[in-house]
Amino acid sequence: MESFEQCIKCTVCTVYCPMVAVNPDYPGPKQAGPDGERYRLKNPMFYDDALDLCLNCKRCEVACPSNVKIGDLIQNARLKYSARKPGLRDYMLANTDVMGSMATTFAPIVNGMLGLKPVKKVMDKTLAIDHHRTLPKYSAQKFETWFRRKARKSQEAFPEKVSYFHGCYANYNNPKLAKDFVKIMNALGYGVNLLEKEKCCGVALISNGFKEKALKQAELNLRSIRKAVSRGEMVLTTSSTCTFTMRDEYAHILGLDNSDVRGSIALATKFIYELVDLGKARLVFKKDYVKRIAYHTPCHMEKLGWAVYSTSLLRMIPGVDFNMLDSQCCGIAGTYGFKKEHYNDSQKIGESLFRQIADLNVDVVSTDCETCKWQIEMSTGVPVENPISIIADALDVEATIKANQKK
Amino acid sequence: MKFDTIIIGGGLSGLVAGIELLRKGQRCLIVSSGQSALHFFSGSLELCGTEEDPLNAIRGLESSHPYSRLGADRVEALAAKVQPFLSELGLHFKGDVRKNHWRMTPLGVMKRAWLTLDEFASFQDPETMPWKKVAIINIDGFLDFHTSYIAASLEEKGVECSVSGISLPQLDKLRENPTEMRSTNISKVLTGDIIGTLAARINERIDGADAVLMPAVVGLTGCSDVVRLKELVDRPLHFLPTLPPSVPGIRMQLMLKRHFQKQGGIYMLGDSVVSGTFVDGRLKSVRTVNHEDTEFEADNFILASGSFFSKGLVATQNGVVEPVFGLDVDAVSDRKEWYDRNMFNAQPYMKFGVSTDSEFRVRRDGNTVTNLYAAGAVLSGFNPIKEGSGAGVSVLTAFGVVENILTATGGVER
Amino acid sequence: MSSGQEFDVIIIGGGITGAGTARDCAMRGLKTLLLERKDLTSGATGRNHGLLHSGARYAVTDQESAQECIRENMILRKIARHCVEETDGLFITLPEDDLAFQGTFIDACLKAGIRAEAIDPKVAIRMEPSVNPSLIGAVKVPDGAVDPFRLTVANALDARIHGAQVLKDMEVVGFLKEGDRVVGVEAYDHSSKEKKSFRSRLVINAGGIWGHHIAALAGATVNMFPAKGALLIFGHRVNNLVINRCRKPADADILVPGDTISLIGTTSSRLPYDEIDNMKVTADEVDLLLREGQKLAPELAHTRILRAYAGVRPLVAADNDPTGRSISRGIVCLDHETRDGIPGFITITGGKLMTYRLMAEWATDLACKKLGVDKTCRTAQVPLPGSEEIRKKKNVKFEDLGQKAAFGRHGARAEKIQSKDKYDDSLVCECEGVSIAEVNYAIETLDARNITNLRRRTRLGMGTCQGELCACRAAGLLSKANGCARESVTDLAGFMNERWKGMFPVAWGETMSEAQFTSWIYEGVCGLDAFSEKSE
Repeated sequence: MESFEQCIKCTVCTVYCPMVAVNPDYPGPKQAGPDGERYRLKNPMFYDDALDLCLNCKRCEVACPSNVKIGDLIQNARLKYSARKPGLRDYMLANTDVMGSMATTFAPIVNGMLGLKPVKKVMDKTLAIDHHRTLPKYSAQKFETWFRRKARKSQEAFPEKVSYFHGCYANYNNPKLAKDFVKIMNALGYGVNLLEKEKCCGVALISNGFKEKALKQAELNLRSIRKAVSRGEMVLTTSSTCTFTMRDEYAHILGLDNSDVRGSIALATKFIYELVDLGKARLVFKKDYVKRIAYHTPCHMEKLGWAVYSTSLLRMIPGVDFNMLDSQCCGIAGTYGFKKEHYNDSQKIGESLFRQIADLNVDVVSTDCETCKWQIEMSTGVPVENPISIIADALDVEATIKANQKK
Repeated sequence: MKFDTIIIGGGLSGLVAGIELLRKGQRCLIVSSGQSALHFFSGSLELCGTEEDPLNAIRGLESSHPYSRLGADRVEALAAKVQPFLSELGLHFKGDVRKNHWRMTPLGVMKRAWLTLDEFASFQDPETMPWKKVAIINIDGFLDFHTSYIAASLEEKGVECSVSGISLPQLDKLRENPTEMRSTNISKVLTGDIIGTLAARINERIDGADAVLMPAVVGLTGCSDVVRLKELVDRPLHFLPTLPPSVPGIRMQLMLKRHFQKQGGIYMLGDSVVSGTFVDGRLKSVRTVNHEDTEFEADNFILASGSFFSKGLVATQNGVVEPVFGLDVDAVSDRKEWYDRNMFNAQPYMKFGVSTDSEFRVRRDGNTVTNLYAAGAVLSGFNPIKEGSGAGVSVLTAFGVVENILTATGGVER
Repeated sequence: MSSGQEFDVIIIGGGITGAGTARDCAMRGLKTLLLERKDLTSGATGRNHGLLHSGARYAVTDQESAQECIRENMILRKIARHCVEETDGLFITLPEDDLAFQGTFIDACLKAGIRAEAIDPKVAIRMEPSVNPSLIGAVKVPDGAVDPFRLTVANALDARIHGAQVLKDMEVVGFLKEGDRVVGVEAYDHSSKEKKSFRSRLVINAGGIWGHHIAALAGATVNMFPAKGALLIFGHRVNNLVINRCRKPADADILVPGDTISLIGTTSSRLPYDEIDNMKVTADEVDLLLREGQKLAPELAHTRILRAYAGVRPLVAADNDPTGRSISRGIVCLDHETRDGIPGFITITGGKLMTYRLMAEWATDLACKKLGVDKTCRTAQVPLPGSEEIRKKKNVKFEDLGQKAAFGRHGARAEKIQSKDKYDDSLVCECEGVSIAEVNYAIETLDARNITNLRRRTRLGMGTCQGELCACRAAGLLSKANGCARESVTDLAGFMNERWKGMFPVAWGETMSEAQFTSWIYEGVCGLDAFSEKSE
């Protein structure tokens, strides 16, 4: 049955939509999704440009008791019917890897410029990227470069290997996260391979309306992933959004058949948790690592349903005082919150999350999504780390290597 | 992943069972396929609404009824636990297990109830009202609550009614959206500092009334806004239920879930159990959509997946099935026998559910699955609507099943 | 109670024939009164396919009907633009059908003046992706969809604009006679619960199958045989072209797209006359419709079914055959003065939705002849209200779903649906996009007095949830408009029960979930059962 027909009009989705509560121009998930779909099937003129306001957070889908793919319906309608042409700003925000490779080369200059008030004003005016935002800093050395120079050789010694889809963020903005991942995997006795070729997963291209380009990149990624899988390797990631995009959006939005490799694409925390749970590996933590941590469930993590793995690992660290935040959207929704016209809604959506974080008075917030990290750091001033980085910091590497060698 | 008990279904029944098991030291997982029927809560829990004394009514039920299978004495004992249980979670109800009171519906109809949320209107007698004059106040443009029905009903009972509406600039913004002037979205506006303004508007409209009645559109994520508003309004303020979604129901869901998670329970929302591995008449493990190959193992399982609405039961053109495990169901196979032509007569399909033994353990291909229990709306043999027994069956069978599990596992509190 | 004025003509029956006849009479200057025992379209008019026949279906077996259809089809495209969807239709040949029939079919169509064109099955699949891909032949014809509710309401509205009176809830219970001559009717007013009499020079019986009984009240015998046809409504628009089988007409071989939904029909069975007001769709009929429907469009197998319903078609016995075995398929216009010696009484029956305008023309021609009025029929030229050109495009801005949907339903008249205040844009019915402003327009301008009336005027409650969300809101608005809360809740109970009667024959899958949810809300939370009438 067509998913929109499973809707029994219970209105539960409207309760959990972050956008409907702050912006009356957004028709709401019920109206934009299943209700609207019946009308669009009758006549495409019923398409409403306000569907652009959808954050694609999929919280409506998670809440739906009838398994209606509300978020997919809305995204597909946008790609099918929207007559609006994406502009330069959308291009800049969507093409995270083009921007990244350009920027990394000139990282010190770019970072300086992006932070400068006049530059931000210009971007605000000409590109409509809100001046409150600081675009994420670019690292001087890409993770890929570091890996080739410093780590690739040593990986060959490991009999068992995993492949790593690092994504744009770990590559250009936060190589430490990728290095942390390599450190943990190596400690657990796994070597790390990069994919033969890797392009941005395409999440920003999809949400900014560049379907063709997203398709090309997805096909390239799937080709590389298939090669890794055929070598018997899992393809691990450190971003919930990349993971979700490659596992679900490739099939549901781009219409690609990824069923042969979907099960082999996983978040690193899931893979590691399962090793530990099945007794195949052990993590040994430093005795002196003490932190009060709050975990924020990113929207796409909520949709994946995998927060349990990241949080279970964090809870294993003896010195961690763990707090679970109510699962709700932080408001950034990828590139959405960067756009000038969305800044206010974006901050309003995250408001109660920021309040919760402030009230908890934690040392660090942990989350599996890079854009949530930017939003929370900008809005609360509390540092945010990926669980992998926290585990890497807390890990007693020597002891862990030993514990896993014994086996 | 290994648990002591895995609960399928995260609504009232599943969460009550989960919290109770956590309190006994168990490690619990709840897998919930979307949000629950608590989102349509009336503000009142019903035990059995067919007569004044619910416990007496229960003694007269058929032997196949879940209450009859618990036994009247056990029903009484379990029912006594409910109010304190909820109160501990910050959910405060009023009511008496020996005597039903009355609640007023959004259409102004009086219905019997067992426990009603403290802030809701409740009555000892359906005809004798505690007020001479009331102010009925709605939010302007809110279509899911009609003051005229409430006024008509109260006026028939000799109460003078003044009806008015409130509009605030913050609500006007919401109103620009043609569909989203819903109870829950209103409650997202009516929170925090605005409560003071709301109370002032209400006070302006009291006009000599003994009490104020308004739709339940305050307090989505906690009780503080409700408490504050009641404090600031000059007369006793009572809420009445609205059409869905239900603000107090969602609050109840959220508070139960928060408590469950805080006690260490793992709640997986938006995920569905798709299959189970059965070994020697026991359910060994289950798999879910989101976790693919991961086996979730447990010593015991509770099926609290609800009725047709929640997809705990699925009707096809040719029969009724339990879709997760293909369990035996108590249902007529010929669909001509499922319905009564009059919507308001008892519908036979309402009593359909999974077939269970005296311990509420389910059956598969005629054989009892010794560690898979069913609780709540997925059970057969009761008509929650005609009997006014939905919430009671959900909560009491959840408690009952927890006791059964503890007894079966030696009753040891870990 | 008697109304003082005398009418030229009283028309009995607020179906499409009666409304069309009232319009024609009024346009020709006759002082006209239309009486309907319940609501406009509450009989057979509201219970059919809504197919804008090209006539192709009849071409092989009945050239005369085919020719009438294609002529009226072309007329309706002009005068009832807002009631018609010009979709085109396919007649498909499946492997089990005889492909040789296609040639006969096309020849017969062309002979009747119907553009019928054989097309490559592959092209047919491209044109209509839902069609059974195993088809071996396809013919394209100018079929379409027509909304019978809109069409009837527009005719009645135009009759009123031309001076006619339209009274609902007014059941004719007897005739006023002077000698053998009919000089008016006696009617029971269901709203005021009193008997009324109305005088006129002529009475036209346009009661459809109920016309059998009406004729009997006047002392005439018109032998009608009710033929029941069951249909299923699917949850969304599965097909955009009408899909028919290219073979001799049979059960369940037409799939029609109509507004937001698709319809499959029909079965055909004789029905005892005393069951025409209480038709039931059986499980066997539902199974048959689904089985056959899937042959037209396989995806019907997994498409949600919203409801099942049945209409009754009046088959009229040919006048020279008292046994009733020989049935007239065409239009039957009876002058009871010459036929039965009852002056002042005319029956117009037979025919079909497609030919209502022609039926009205025949009846009005006869009426004019008898009244000595010499005016020609203009109903084929003058557009119905709503189908006029929109004059000032600039001023008409349809932004949100409610406004766009209302334009689809009311055509140019949507200009009159104005939001009076900030609340009026809010949607009452979210499935079908019916706003408060549209509900108020239907109450004020289209004589909607209860929720069922509103449903017929606006599609409120016709969508996926069948009234689960909107019915209570609509009741609230009616309660406000009519100032009677209790009555509107009783009306709500009746409405929900009526929705249920269409749902339970197909209540499995999502329809069952929806039904249970609806019961929880209306009975569990709201206690609506307290207002249900204790019938059945």
